[in-house]
Amino acid sequence: MTIDGIGVLRAPAEQQYAAELAALAAADDRPRPPNWRLSPQAVVTYVLGGTLPDGTVLAPKYVGDRRLVEIAVATLVTDRALLLVGVPGTAKSWLSEHLAAAVSGDSTLMVQGTAGTSEESVRYGWNYARLIAEGPSEAALVPSPVLRAMRTGAVARVEELTRMPAEVQDSFITILSEKALPVPELGQQVQAVPGFTVIATANDRDRGVNQMSSALARRFNTVVLPPPATEDAEVAIVSARAAQLGRALELPAEPPALDEVRRVVRIFRELRNGSTVDGRTQLKRPSGSLSTAEAISVVTGGMALAAHFGDGRIGADELAAGLAGAVVRDRVSDDAAWREYLETVVRERAEWRDLYQACRDVPTGGA
Amino acid sequence: MSRVTLLGIRHHGPGSARMVVAALDALRPKVVLVEGPPEADPLVAHLAGLTPPVALLLHDEAAPETAAFWPFAAFSPEWQALRWAAAHGVPARFADLPASVTLAEPDGPRPRAAIDPLGLLAEAAGFDDPERWWEDVVEQHREADPLGLAGAVAEAMTALREEFADEIDDRTLRREAAMRQAVRQACRDTDGPVAVVCGAWHVPALAHLPPASADAALVRGLPRRRVSGTWVPWSHGRLARDSGAAGYGAGVAAPGWYAHLWDSAAARAAAARGNDTATRDGDNGDTAARDGDAATHDGDTAAHDGNAAARNDDAAAHSDDAATHDGNTAAPGNGTAAHGNGAPRNGSLAAGDDTVPRWFARACQLLRAEDLPVSTASAVDAVRLADALAALRGRPSPGLAEVTDAALAVLCGGDELPLRLVHERLVVGEQLGTVGPDVPQSPLAADLVATQRRLRLRADTGTRQLRLDLRRDNDRARGTLLRRLRVLDVPWGRPEDVARLGTFAEAWQVRWDPGFAVAVAAAARHGSTVASAAERVLGRRAAGAARVAEAADVLGEAVNCELPGAVAAARAALDRCAAAATDTVELLGALPALAGTVRYGSVRDTDPELLRTALHGLLARGAVGLPLACRGIDDAAAERLLAALDGAHEAAGLAADPAHQAVWRQALARVLDAPNAHGLPAGRATRLLWEALVLDADAVAARLRRAVTAGAGTGASAFVAGFLRGSAALLAEDPQLFGLVDGWLTGLSAREFADTLPLLRRAVAEFSTAERRMLGERVGAAGGPEGAGPAWDEGRAARLAAEVRRLLATAGSTGGGRG
Ligand SMILES: Nc1ncnc2c1ncn2[C@@H]1O[C@H](COP(=O)(O)OP(=O)(O)OP(=O)(O)O)[C@@H](O)[C@H]1O
Ligand SMILES: [Mg+2]
Repeated sequence: MTIDGIGVLRAPAEQQYAAELAALAAADDRPRPPNWRLSPQAVVTYVLGGTLPDGTVLAPKYVGDRRLVEIAVATLVTDRALLLVGVPGTAKSWLSEHLAAAVSGDSTLMVQGTAGTSEESVRYGWNYARLIAEGPSEAALVPSPVLRAMRTGAVARVEELTRMPAEVQDSFITILSEKALPVPELGQQVQAVPGFTVIATANDRDRGVNQMSSALARRFNTVVLPPPATEDAEVAIVSARAAQLGRALELPAEPPALDEVRRVVRIFRELRNGSTVDGRTQLKRPSGSLSTAEAISVVTGGMALAAHFGDGRIGADELAAGLAGAVVRDRVSDDAAWREYLETVVRERAEWRDLYQACRDVPTGGA
Repeated sequence: MSRVTLLGIRHHGPGSARMVVAALDALRPKVVLVEGPPEADPLVAHLAGLTPPVALLLHDEAAPETAAFWPFAAFSPEWQALRWAAAHGVPARFADLPASVTLAEPDGPRPRAAIDPLGLLAEAAGFDDPERWWEDVVEQHREADPLGLAGAVAEAMTALREEFADEIDDRTLRREAAMRQAVRQACRDTDGPVAVVCGAWHVPALAHLPPASADAALVRGLPRRRVSGTWVPWSHGRLARDSGAAGYGAGVAAPGWYAHLWDSAAARAAAARGNDTATRDGDNGDTAARDGDAATHDGDTAAHDGNAAARNDDAAAHSDDAATHDGNTAAPGNGTAAHGNGAPRNGSLAAGDDTVPRWFARACQLLRAEDLPVSTASAVDAVRLADALAALRGRPSPGLAEVTDAALAVLCGGDELPLRLVHERLVVGEQLGTVGPDVPQSPLAADLVATQRRLRLRADTGTRQLRLDLRRDNDRARGTLLRRLRVLDVPWGRPEDVARLGTFAEAWQVRWDPGFAVAVAAAARHGSTVASAAERVLGRRAAGAARVAEAADVLGEAVNCELPGAVAAARAALDRCAAAATDTVELLGALPALAGTVRYGSVRDTDPELLRTALHGLLARGAVGLPLACRGIDDAAAERLLAALDGAHEAAGLAADPAHQAVWRQALARVLDAPNAHGLPAGRATRLLWEALVLDADAVAARLRRAVTAGAGTGASAFVAGFLRGSAALLAEDPQLFGLVDGWLTGLSAREFADTLPLLRRAVAEFSTAERRMLGERVGAAGGPEGAGPAWDEGRAARLAAEVRRLLATAGSTGGGRG
């Protein structure tokens, strides 16, 4: 969530990783499906990371099960639409962006789903000045990102599909099954160029809010992105991403010490699961999602604090404010959960004394 | 040595099974040797009465619980070799160390090599489905020449054995010596060709025969026992379950998938031989009936054998076949280049091979039967995704991993739950084998049949109610048998709720499922009678019990099964667990079951005192911990404690002696005094003590008031909830309790009442609508207690009306402003 806040500072993946993509394309001797920038195998390598024969090191973007990435890429090969679902912060948008960047070289053909998303933003709109002056014409048509993707044979991205009103969602049915979009005003139909497909993301917690019609659901292959399976995996993700973000923000801070990251991840996982790692103590669960993404922003936030107000090294003091902020979303109930966790768990861990002190001093607004 | 042909196989590999059948057809051996225990030789005669999956069960005659299984599926090469021999009137014999040796090994029977060498080669080639590797890579090149294929396997194994030389232990060497002895014997028995079907791993060791004396020395002095055995029905589920366990032979993780590969290949071969129409039809029928009916497999194989006779006529067709295959071979040859093009090879949809489409068609049928929305269009999309995945992974055709991934993403919407269904019903499968009536039974199965006859309890497949009067010996023995069988995983009878029937009656629902035969067979390793097997299983569970509840469960079952040895073991386990338990909820939680056991123990010939002592021990320990367990816990923990407390209270009333009931009441009293005890158990303890006449109405009302005024917040409502929860009926019917609550409420000041109201609402909200109505009627019937009647307060009503008007007015004005 907070990561999104710095999105404006961030170039799209195909620019940020232009060097990697170019090196991959140069080394890629396997056949590419029509309008793909890379072969499917190279796309998988780009997403999961690796080393090329010429020594170029590709950073892992998605950390997780190779199988899932392969299913996603193979889905795109069959020009089926791909639906990524999962709880918040499981890298759905992140994976979608990188897949689009690797396959089409453009991850910006994107529609953001909200309750206010209109059909125009999925299909096309009109430049009304021109429409009135010249009548319906190709020049007066304002194509949606989806329409542009159809014309160029690229991947169109749809974020938070299930937040769109149901009837807007359903405009994808024709697009996906016919691979064409009628424009009755011009008496024509836009045929999708090979390579066109859709990657949609949907939040698990939204399921049922604007649930997809089964007709639409049937047009997607669905990949569920799970939260990191183990603490170690999550620590790896958080520290790698925090270091990357720190570089991108040009923070004059050291990359976060692994021990600090581990503390954050452990706190997140324990509160998320409602029990301590040893399974001995039951915990109240706060209302927030406590996702990996939020763990990353706690750590990067800590790095920023350390850079600007500390010695550049992240420690308990730098983490405390972010931790309390991430956990306490609801003043009353979450504050109780957080206080209880501090008193019963953090306090008991001898090596966490500093963190206990630091967190206790952070006001959280509860009673 | 040229007379002997070694056919190295992958155990339970359908690809190997095809190679074996083709090689035997080409070779026409006079004797067929199959890896396996020689004591089973006489059992080969029963082959005609068997429908796979079946297993050889061999046991030590002196100690029948020392037993091992050798399972066979229709697609097992060993099975196909036995069938071929039977169909061609050629003797088939087993070659390996005698079971008498393997059964005596300290770490139990391990009849087969743990290493899967052909699986290793597949893995090295980048395949995680060895059978698809075999089809796509090995057979594509070699199918026309099964003997050449066997030779290639032998060569590969020679290299592999060098690499894994340290995997070859003494045991393997002894086994191979025994196999060589069998080969020598076969060569003495016939002048004709001899075929040996054994794990590929052993082929290099059998390729050269050292002097017989060397082998004799290797196997000399090994333990000997009398072993006997039989065939027992098996199931795909069992085959899969054994795949993890080292004990009973290598199993297969995906028998249903292997059966599918085997059937598809057979259908393909039949089609290529030109009897399209006949076999195609047969094959369709087979798919429709597969899950229910194992016999169709035999139909397939019979057709296959029938074709063997006509082989020469088919020579031309064969070369056609080879030609088409050559066409295909280009694909895996160019390997990833050909498939790296991202676009699927269309392999699965190509004419002639419908392995994958048929698989998804079956998956769709299965899911649809469970009311999950999957269309035929989805099946097509699944095939395409599986193909694309195979291409991406550099495999010529989809294997189990690819079809599973595609089923997950396309048919199951990413949800693991329906995928589990596909796994259980399709990947593993539910196929059951059968064993004909002429095949001898295991001692346990024989005992079961004898007992059934004695007790006049027929194994009907229809559901039947059974009422038992435990005072009659025959009925009691029937109940005991049903319970013992449940311990052995044979749920022939399902006990019905007995509470209302009284101590001497039992009601059962009985239904025999043919699948139970497998469990009966598997249970044979625990003992030679139902009683001894059940006693052994319970004894083991008692020894393994870690928690009080587990031990109490075992004790209850042991008493019900009337197995004194198991009762003693469970009693000891209970003491051990109780001594180690630190969790009061755990201790208390075991009491209800134990109380039941105490009550029914007398009927079951167990000394009730022995059980009562156990109950008292637990009760005393639980009573000590109770007050502490109520302190500083969260709501979820309090709920668990409340359930345990209620159960323990009832158990104490039911089965404890007066002295121990008093101990329990003292514990409840201490809960009331425990500082910061959670309201839920404290409220409940208050009511229970009132019911037990330890507290009088005044004391209770005082406690209620104190709880409500002292702890404004969740504690108070928990106390009221704990006090009232589950007592709606009691409240309505018991004038005492009603009067108590009534008195407490009317005794509150107006302010206190207003404070209490929300708590009361919350507590009453837990009652059902019907209960609330009943209570309402009760209150109405009482004519409304004096003082609490809803007297109309004019002043207050006027103030309220004014407030409402004010609210409405503001709402109206903002609304107008916006408009
Ligand atoms: N398994 C993972 N591998 C790599 N990065 C991850 C992983 N899980 C989470 N992240 C990181 O979490 C951040 C947030 O992910 P993203 O915004 O894509 O989540 P999301 O699933 O779309 O959440 P939402 O449902 O809230 O939209 C990204 O910076 C991403 O790098
Ligand atoms: Mg997102």
